[in-house]
Amino acid sequence: MKAFHMSWKQILLALAGFGVVIGALIVAGAVPAEALQTVVQKALTTPAGWRDILRETTPLLLLGCSVFLALKAGLFNIGADGQFVVGAMASVAIALHNFGPLTIPLAIVVGTLAGGLWALPVGLIKAYRGGHEVITTIMLNNIAFFLSVFLVKGVLKDPESQSPTTAYIAEAAKLPNLVQNGPFRLNIALLFAIAVALALWWYLKRTVGGYELNATGANSKAAKFAGIQIEKVIVRSMTTSGAIAGLAGALQVLAYENRFYSGFSPGYGFDALGVALLAGGSPLALLGSGLLFGIIGKSTTVLSLTGVPKGLSFILLGILVIVFASFRYRKEPSHD
Amino acid sequence: MIDLTYLVAAISFGSLLTSTLTFSAPLILGALGGLCSERSGVINIGLEGKMLAAACATGYIAQASQDPVLGLTAGILVATLLAMLHWTLTQTYRIDHIISGMGINALCAGGTSLISKTFPELGSKQMAAFSIYVYWLCAWTAVIAIWWILKSTRGGLRLYAVGNDPDKSRQMGIKPGKVRLQALLGTGLLTGLAGALIVTNAGSFSDGMTSGRGYIALAALILGGWRPWPTLIAAVLFGLFDSLQLQLQGQPLFGQVIPGEFWQALPYLVTLVALAGIAGKSRAPAGLGKP
Repeated sequence: MKAFHMSWKQILLALAGFGVVIGALIVAGAVPAEALQTVVQKALTTPAGWRDILRETTPLLLLGCSVFLALKAGLFNIGADGQFVVGAMASVAIALHNFGPLTIPLAIVVGTLAGGLWALPVGLIKAYRGGHEVITTIMLNNIAFFLSVFLVKGVLKDPESQSPTTAYIAEAAKLPNLVQNGPFRLNIALLFAIAVALALWWYLKRTVGGYELNATGANSKAAKFAGIQIEKVIVRSMTTSGAIAGLAGALQVLAYENRFYSGFSPGYGFDALGVALLAGGSPLALLGSGLLFGIIGKSTTVLSLTGVPKGLSFILLGILVIVFASFRYRKEPSHD
Repeated sequence: MIDLTYLVAAISFGSLLTSTLTFSAPLILGALGGLCSERSGVINIGLEGKMLAAACATGYIAQASQDPVLGLTAGILVATLLAMLHWTLTQTYRIDHIISGMGINALCAGGTSLISKTFPELGSKQMAAFSIYVYWLCAWTAVIAIWWILKSTRGGLRLYAVGNDPDKSRQMGIKPGKVRLQALLGTGLLTGLAGALIVTNAGSFSDGMTSGRGYIALAALILGGWRPWPTLIAAVLFGLFDSLQLQLQGQPLFGQVIPGEFWQALPYLVTLVALAGIAGKSRAPAGLGKP
């Protein structure tokens, strides 16, 4: 990864990206200035708007942490979406039963473990077989999707419901709101997410494990030469990354959705790649980029009510990722 | 045994053959599109996006113009433009290939969804299209053509060289950027055909209609070890899984009804197991993802 780099080429790309977004708004029949006004009025300046922004930010920040951690170890975790789904599914399977005061902690731990286990084969295949993690995670994402459809139509299905969904979890199994003021809500889950981002910062900066992870990601051959067992680091980072994504799924169930259904993730795992890339070097920047994608999520929802299809959010994701990657994450030829 | 005979009786082999050919054709085309790109060293996880965008363009243009040639041309053009975008981003801007592919996939998913939701009336008309046999022919011809190009032409040799070691090729006077441009033109053409085929088969465009087939094509390419004939076999096998799933819906196998989701997940499972077992990175082009 090179330092921040800017030239007319990058500026041209950024302008083109901006043009695409404006063009998309015009194609969808919106006036860009009015669209911006709608976003400010309906999303950015109302308590209900901020409730939804913070709600969206929670999984995005956690999944951003998950992708970020893997990225630091030199691994692309495209599979955060699948790990999120598996974590949520495992968590709901626990939370539907009553374990007394242990219900919530158990549901969180099981969701986290499930996410980690779902990522374990990715790490093992990468470390010991050389199979590219992007390919294995794409495969596992799809397997997770079909598994979730199968389970939610079968054993996990709410017998009362016509559609493929689980029952709602009991009131006692829900994570409480920290602030509840009119339409505004702040769930404790967001604090979990912020705590994970801070812990990630501490881990990467202050621990031996974090140092090994950074070294492996920066130059795996040099790390190996220096005596770091890179295979173990790869498996460990990938599993931890999956565990964080699984935690995100568990919290999504316990704090917000309170059930699992077919099509649970609207593609958070892919937004998370944007969150992690935009954060650049520091885990603390994840707080900002997570919030930004939360705002984008809520803004496009608000715009969809005025007739601009939700597809706009994916266009924004694509543009942000491409433009930002042209400043960072570049590869130069070793010699020309 | 009783189960098996019952099962065989449930299968109509004629329709199994045609549906396997139909289901595997977009996978073959997509996987070969990926082969052109990845043999030249450009990682391409953007097959799904290109196929989706091509399906959208072909569907709507063929409906609006009632001209199959114009529809197919539009699909190929859009996929080629996206391939060129991937080339520019990876070769000129030197963005990581995976990030560029992901970005393009997101753009295509968002863009086609936006268009199909904004103009819902477009999908209602009958689209003018080539017969599905034309696409079968294209797919199988493409395998032979690419096999021959890779094996017997100067261009194919250069493609291998650039894909295996871009630095050495550069020293030998081959410009990796130029070779990759030509390779990605091939990717555009083939993924464009794949997308056009998918929309032709369905009759009109719908949001997210490629439904992961770009990724299954990628899986076929990897299972095939980045070589044309094994890739063809993998793609046909995946097509066979798909048609078996349609025919065996609700039919018991060894006393159990196998859920449709299992058949749908099977290509991904097979690829995963293969990656864990035999097919490691050893067969991948050595210069994959290198500038």
